[in-house]
Amino acid sequence: MTQEEFAVTCKELIKSYGHGETKITALRGVNLEVRSGEMMMLAGPSGCGKTTLISVIASILNQDNGECKVYGHDLNHMSKTERIAFRSKNIGFVFQAFNLFPSLTAAENVAIPLVIGGMDIKEATQKGCELLNEMGLGDRVSDVPADLSGGQQQRVAIARAMIHGPRLIVCDEPTSALDGHTGQKIMELIKKVALDETRAIIVVTHDSRIFSFADRIAKMEDGQILKVVNSYEEFED
Amino acid sequence: MFYIAFRMLVGDRGKFLGIILGLSFASLIMTQQPGVFVGIMTRAYSFITDLGLPDIWVMEPTVQYIDDIKPMPDTYLYRVASVEGVAWAKPLYKGTIQARLHNGTFQTCNLIGLDDATLIGAPAVMIEGKIENLRRTDGIIVNQEGALDKLANPPKYPRGPKIPLKVGQEIELNNHRAVVVGIAQTTRTFQSQPVVYTTYSNATLFTPPQLNLLSFVLVKAKPGQNLKALCDRIFRRTGLRAYTKEDFKSLTVNYYLKYTGIPINFGVSVLLGFLVGAAIAGQTFYNFTLENLRYFGVLKAMGTSEKTLLLMIIFQALIISFIGYGIGVGCTGIFDLLTQNTMLAFRFPWQLFIFSIFGIFIISSFAALISIRKVITLEPAIVFKS
Repeated sequence: MTQEEFAVTCKELIKSYGHGETKITALRGVNLEVRSGEMMMLAGPSGCGKTTLISVIASILNQDNGECKVYGHDLNHMSKTERIAFRSKNIGFVFQAFNLFPSLTAAENVAIPLVIGGMDIKEATQKGCELLNEMGLGDRVSDVPADLSGGQQQRVAIARAMIHGPRLIVCDEPTSALDGHTGQKIMELIKKVALDETRAIIVVTHDSRIFSFADRIAKMEDGQILKVVNSYEEFED
Repeated sequence: MFYIAFRMLVGDRGKFLGIILGLSFASLIMTQQPGVFVGIMTRAYSFITDLGLPDIWVMEPTVQYIDDIKPMPDTYLYRVASVEGVAWAKPLYKGTIQARLHNGTFQTCNLIGLDDATLIGAPAVMIEGKIENLRRTDGIIVNQEGALDKLANPPKYPRGPKIPLKVGQEIELNNHRAVVVGIAQTTRTFQSQPVVYTTYSNATLFTPPQLNLLSFVLVKAKPGQNLKALCDRIFRRTGLRAYTKEDFKSLTVNYYLKYTGIPINFGVSVLLGFLVGAAIAGQTFYNFTLENLRYFGVLKAMGTSEKTLLLMIIFQALIISFIGYGIGVGCTGIFDLLTQNTMLAFRFPWQLFIFSIFGIFIISSFAALISIRKVITLEPAIVFKS
């Protein structure tokens, strides 16, 4: 597999916060490869560096050392403007706390990445309506987030993450704010709707109930990846 | 993105109204208080405004403002009249006098003595009676406010309404009988004292004996005369100070600005309004930005450029400025309407619009600036914090 076919390649990634005695090293030489078309889960205890890793991969945080490429593009060597443009086209986000704009309707929330890309708000909202319709939320397109259940809000967030056709979607604890049943449904939706051969999904989680949805699971601890496994059983071993 | 910025702004109506309220308040204070100040200053020279006919006012050189009367010998009138370019020159007496009312109390009045022949300087609008009646023996014209209030007859019963002074009634001016021959409408003066008009010769009778009586010489320039040049010529030929109407108004206003605490008091009010408005609007707008920081972070993470975020905040600041300014100035406009023809002094010239726009612009720029700084330095990784 060539480097172009890897969605993400991380080599010896190092990232620290703070200085002097308060310095904390969140990533200690992380090596990771995520293939296009796969769902990779990052699992591990709180504070092990999962969120820092996806922040670096999503280019919203700069590493101190090491290399991180997304579809062959070394984001650290891009200018700020190029990085922002790359992110707006190629990366989608799903957040633990949904982060939907409370004053916008569901369809308008979904439309945001298209608007950022320069599309007219009306046209973008129309596309948002269509996508929500496909995801079974056709009757809630005009509702604001406060009128939606947690599961519905996360479905809107997933729609928002994929409407502009990004090649990488990063999900930070997408099920932790949901009950077990809804969490399963959300993961089914992500796997079914968001994942395809041209796109990779990285999910940060410590919810072992959703490990079965992963193609591979990377176990992290203390800023390092201990192992990358194919199933929950191997993960537990 | 402007649509998103707008929806973010109005999404929390409580906060939005808080910001608008702060700016409206600042805008109101920055227009209403100067409006009152301008109104008071306008009243300070209202007497000059009311005397529409003369082009130039001539006076003793040390006069500092309209009520600073330094009497001159009557002969000065002829010296002024003989200056080249003067079409006519008329005498004017302006002073104060004690009026004894029917209930035995005294009221200080402004006494205006007009040229007997032409009555130049007489009020333009008569409510009752005719100006020519001033030529009757002991005839006086009283301004409407004075007739209705300070010179009015006592009520028929305790705490009842005062009975307005009417044409034909007599009052005592410095122990002299004076007969009301007319009621006139005049602009309120700074002191709000009743104004009594009479002829120049009557004024000499009403006032206590004094060597000089001539307060001002009112001058009409010949057609085509340069008024400033004529003023200079009058000064050179007579040694008397001559001002155009506008210059005399400025002299009066400048006196009040320089020698009274009025501008400082109003300045403090305006400054406080500005500071409180800036604090409220700045704080609320900044709080609004802080509360929306997560969403600005989401936009930043999703690939919104800093320039776009900056424009979004400026757009939000412009919206609140526009609405806040509109409400504030609207309230001042309503205040203007409500106070017309009342005792309250208020003027709302166009310069105040510009002044307050400038003030609101500074406040909203300040509010936007502190918010922009916060958003631009925001680390987009904040979005992954739960």
